[in-house]
Amino acid sequence: MDKHIIKWLILGAAIRLYLCTSEWVHILGNRVEIATPLNSFKRVNEGVYLLKQGVNPYDGDMVHEIPVVLWFLTFAAEYLKHWLPFLYVLIDICTACVLYKASKVFVRRKLTVQCAELVHYAKDTEELQYHQSDESTIPFLVLMAYLFNPLSIFNSAGLTSTVFSNLLLSLALYGLIDHHLLMFLFAAVIESHRNLYPVILLAPAVLVFNKNGKLKTILHVIVPFIVLSFALFRLNYSLMGDESWNFIDGTLGFIFFYRDLQPNIGLFWYFFTEMFEHFRTMFLITFQMNATVLYLVPLSLKLRKEPILLATILIGLMSIFRAYPCVGDVAFYLALLPLWKRSWKFMVHNFIVFCFFVVSLCMLPALWHLWIYSGSANANFYFGATLAFSTGQIFLVTDLLFAYVKREFCLFNGQKIIVQGKEAKIVLG
Amino acid sequence: MYPGRKMANPLSIFCILVLLLGQQTTRIFTQTVLDGTGEGLNENRKQLPATSTKNNNGKDGLANNEEYHEELVVQPLANGFVNTYFQFTTRWRYGSKENLHNTRLIPRPIAEILLYSDVKEFHITLTQGLWRYESWGYPVQDAAPGAEAWSWFAGENLTESDVDEQWKRVTSTFSGIICASLNFMDKTNTITPQYGFKPQFVSSSTKNLTKHVRYSSLPREIVCTENLTPWKKLLPCNSRHGFASLLNSGHVHNTNYHSLGIKFRTLCNNQDECILEFTESANMVYDPKLVGATNNLDFSLRRMFGQGLNGHCPLADSSKVYVNLELPLPYEMTPLPQYNITSTRGGQTSHYGVYDIQKLKDQKLFNIAWVLRKPQHQVLSPTPPPLLAHRNIVGYGQEKGKIITQITNNYYNELPIVLQENIPWYMPVYIHTLQIKNHKTGELIQPNSLQYRPGVQRTRPYYLELAFKIPSKSSVEISLDFDYIFLKWLEYPPDANHGHYVGSSVITTQLTMARNYTAIPLSGYRFSDSFNATRNSYILTIRTESLILSLPTPDFSMPYNVICLACTVVALAFGPIHSVATKKIVVEQQDSDEPRSFVGKIMRKLKKKNKNSPTIDGEAENTLTSSSSIGSEKVK
Repeated sequence: MDKHIIKWLILGAAIRLYLCTSEWVHILGNRVEIATPLNSFKRVNEGVYLLKQGVNPYDGDMVHEIPVVLWFLTFAAEYLKHWLPFLYVLIDICTACVLYKASKVFVRRKLTVQCAELVHYAKDTEELQYHQSDESTIPFLVLMAYLFNPLSIFNSAGLTSTVFSNLLLSLALYGLIDHHLLMFLFAAVIESHRNLYPVILLAPAVLVFNKNGKLKTILHVIVPFIVLSFALFRLNYSLMGDESWNFIDGTLGFIFFYRDLQPNIGLFWYFFTEMFEHFRTMFLITFQMNATVLYLVPLSLKLRKEPILLATILIGLMSIFRAYPCVGDVAFYLALLPLWKRSWKFMVHNFIVFCFFVVSLCMLPALWHLWIYSGSANANFYFGATLAFSTGQIFLVTDLLFAYVKREFCLFNGQKIIVQGKEAKIVLG
Repeated sequence: MYPGRKMANPLSIFCILVLLLGQQTTRIFTQTVLDGTGEGLNENRKQLPATSTKNNNGKDGLANNEEYHEELVVQPLANGFVNTYFQFTTRWRYGSKENLHNTRLIPRPIAEILLYSDVKEFHITLTQGLWRYESWGYPVQDAAPGAEAWSWFAGENLTESDVDEQWKRVTSTFSGIICASLNFMDKTNTITPQYGFKPQFVSSSTKNLTKHVRYSSLPREIVCTENLTPWKKLLPCNSRHGFASLLNSGHVHNTNYHSLGIKFRTLCNNQDECILEFTESANMVYDPKLVGATNNLDFSLRRMFGQGLNGHCPLADSSKVYVNLELPLPYEMTPLPQYNITSTRGGQTSHYGVYDIQKLKDQKLFNIAWVLRKPQHQVLSPTPPPLLAHRNIVGYGQEKGKIITQITNNYYNELPIVLQENIPWYMPVYIHTLQIKNHKTGELIQPNSLQYRPGVQRTRPYYLELAFKIPSKSSVEISLDFDYIFLKWLEYPPDANHGHYVGSSVITTQLTMARNYTAIPLSGYRFSDSFNATRNSYILTIRTESLILSLPTPDFSMPYNVICLACTVVALAFGPIHSVATKKIVVEQQDSDEPRSFVGKIMRKLKKKNKNSPTIDGEAENTLTSSSSIGSEKVK
C-alpha cells in the first residue's frame, strides 16, 4: 500500500466516523434513498434481536439478510456494542483499498497487453492509450471516487448493509482483474446469495478464466460456483438450526417477488404499486430479466475481449434495474469509471448526466418531504425524480459503452479517418 | 360451503318472517300480545321438537334441564351518564351430545356449532363507541370497538390447522347469524394468545384433550340495526316480550356507547354430561341530557328506551331489574324497588334495588324514573379505577411512527399485567425497539415474559404478548417503532385517505380488590351471581382505543401513465445496448460545404428534402469495420 494514500484513507474514515457517530446516522439511516428494506440498519438490528430471542427472523417480514451475515453481525454487535459503526466504516475503507489495489493491477495488465498490441495501433492515438503515469493516477482517481463520493459517504454513514455488498463486489472484481478464481468465487457466491443479481458476474468470470475457449474450462468456473452456492445454503441452513429453509424465501424470494413496495431510487416501486393484478407476474419476470439475463448474452458477445468492462457495465445495469437499489450501489459503479479514463474522450453526455444526477438527487429528498410530511405533493412527484435519476444513470452506462467501442475503433484506425481527402465521421450502419 | 351456515340461514330467514309478523302485532295489538302469553311463541316453537306448550308460563318437563334468566342493570355513572346492561342467560343441561339435535330455548345454530366443531367456548362483541374507564369505571363485560371474537377449541388429536379451519367455519357461521363481517376473520388478523384469555369452559378431565384459542378483531366493523335485529332473534322470547322489548334500534343507536355480546360455553363433567350456557348481553351508556326532556339530568326507562318495560318473557325463570343505589346525584326513584340487596365483594360494598318483574301486579309498560327534586348541574368528579390504559400513535409524517401504550396503575399495590397486541400486517413493528418505561422515574422495566411472532405482509398479523409488573401508583409507557407501509393501489379501501384501523390491545390483570369491578365470576352465569362473590383475586380485562393509521397513498389515476413511463425508461437502456450489440461502425464522409450555423444546417436539410435527392457523392464509399467494436455516435 502506498504511503501517500494513507492520509486520504484517514480523511475518508474521519468523515464517515463523524457522520455515523453524530445524529446524522439516524437521519441518513432512515432515508429511503439510502436504506431500503434489504439493507437498512434497523432491520439488521431486528434480525440480530430476533436471533438472540430464539425467534426465526425469516418467519416474519422484516429481515432479509442471509443467516451467515446475520450471525456474523450478532457476534460483532455482542463484542463491539457501541463500536459497531466503526466496523461499517472499516469495511468501507477496506472496499476503497481493494478497489485501489484492483485498479493498480488493472492498469498494469492493460499496459502489458498494450505493449503487445502497440504495433497495430494507429499513429495519432497516444491519448487513447494507457500511459505509464496512469499506473498511479487511475488508482488514485478510483480511490478518490469511492472515498469522497457523497453517495458512498452517505451510504456508509447510514450504516447500510450495502457496505458489505460493496466490499464483496470489489473483492469479486479484484478476483477477476488479478485472475484469482477462488477470491472471485468466494465473494460472488456470498453476494449472489445476499442480492441475487451479482450471479450474472459469472459471465465476465467465464471470459476471464476461460482462455482457450473450451466448454470444459467454462465448467471450471460454473461448477465450483454451484458447489459453493450449495455449501453456503447448507451453512445457512445449519446456522438457522430449526430445520427450516424459509431463509431462502426471506432473502432471494423477497428480492425476486418484490414484496415490499417502499419507494426507493429504482423503477420497481411505483410500477408495481400501480400494476394491474393480472399483469403482475408477467411484469415481475420481465423486470427481473431486464436486470439480469436480458443484456447478458449480447454484451458478453460484444465485450468478450474486455471482461472487466463487461463486469463494470453489468454492475452498473444491475444497480439501476435491481428491485431495491440504493445510492450505495450507484456509488460503487461510479468509482469504477476512472478505470476507463482513456475512453472518457468519447463520452459525450457528461454534462447531461451530471445535471441529471445533481438535479434529481436534490429533488428526491425535497419531493419526499412534500409528499410524506407536508402532504402537498403526491407520489407522482417522487416517481418523476426517481425516473430522472434512473435515466441519468442509463445515459451514463450506455455512454460508457459507446465510448469504449469508439476508442477501440479509433485505436486501430486512427482518430482522423480520411476518405477521398476529406475527414470522415463514424456512424452506425 | 359451510354446513353450519347452510343450516343457519333457512332458520334465520324463517325467524325473520315470523318476527316481522310478530313485531307488527306487538305494535298494533299490544294488549293482545301481553295477555295471550305467546301465540306467536307457539308458532315459533312449532319448529322446536319435543316441546310441550301446555303450561302458560312455558315450563314443562324439560324445565329442569333448561333455565332462562333476563336481567337489566341500571347504574347512574359519576359524570351524569347512565349505564344500562342487559343480560339474557340460557343454561341447558343437555347431557350427551346427541341431545343437541333437539333444541328448545337455545338457538339451533348454536347447538349445531357444538355438533360439527370442537368449539367449547365462544365470545363475540359488536361495539360502537369507546368505553371511558376514567369516568365510567369498568363495564360488566369489556369489549373492543368494532367486532371482536375469541374462541376456545378442545378435542382429541386436534391440530393447529384443524383449529384454523374450524375457526374460519365458526366465524363464518356467526357472520351469517348476526349479519356482521365476521367472515373477514381469517389468518391475516387472527392470533393465538398464550396468556391473555384463560379458558372459561370445563371439559372432562379423563380425556386427553388439547386446548387451542383463537382471537381476532375487526376494528372497522360498524354496528348497526342489521346486527341488533338478528341478535334479538336468538332470544327465546324474541323482542316482543320481556326485557328485549326495550331494545329498539332507534334508541339503542342513540347512545354514547353500545355493545352487543354473544357468548356461550360448555361445562362438562367426567361422565361427559354437559351444560351449555348461552349468554346474550347488551350494554348501553346513555347521556341523560340527550334523552331527557325537562330537567336535563332526569332519566327513566321510558326516556332511554322509548317505551316502558313490556312485561317479562313467559319462558324466563327470573326477570329482574337491578338498580344501583349509590347515586352520584340525589335522585329519587319512582317506584321504589321491591327490595334491596347489599353486596360485599372484595372489600367493596354496593347496594342494589331489585324489581322482580314477574311479581309485579301491573306489568303493562312498567317504568322506573330517576328524578332530581332540585335541579343539579354539578356532577361529581369520578374516582379513577385502579387500572387505566390508553394508546396512541406518535410522530409526524407518513414514514416512521411509534405506537405508545400508556398503562396507569392507581392501585396501592404493584399489578401483574399481560398486554396482548394484535398488530395488523400493514403496520410492521420493530420488536427490538420495544421499551417498557416507567413514566415517572424513567427507568426501564424488563418484561417477565415476551411472546412474539413476527407478521408477514398480507398473510399474518404481528402478535405480541408481554407480561410484566407495573409498580404501584405509577404509569408505564410501552413503545414500539413501526414503519408506514406502501400498499398496492387496489389494497386501499374506497376512501383511501380515511386510514386503516388498528385493533385495540387487550390488557389483563389480577386485582386483589374489587373496586369498580362488576364482572360476573367464572363460576356464575347471572349478573346476580356477582353479588357477594368475594374471591382471592379478580381477573380484569380492559381494552385500549383502536387506532387509525393513515398510510401514504399513491395516485390512483396513474396506472397507465406509470406503466408507460417506467417502460420508457427501461427502453432507454434497451435501445442503445441493442444497437451497440447488433450494429456495425460505418465511416461516413462529411460534406466539406456543410454550414457551421444551426440555421444554416436546417436550411440545408430543407433544401435536401425539396430536391429529394440525397448527396450520394460522399456517402459511405469506404466502409471500415473494426475487428472489435462499432459505435453509433458522430465523431469529429
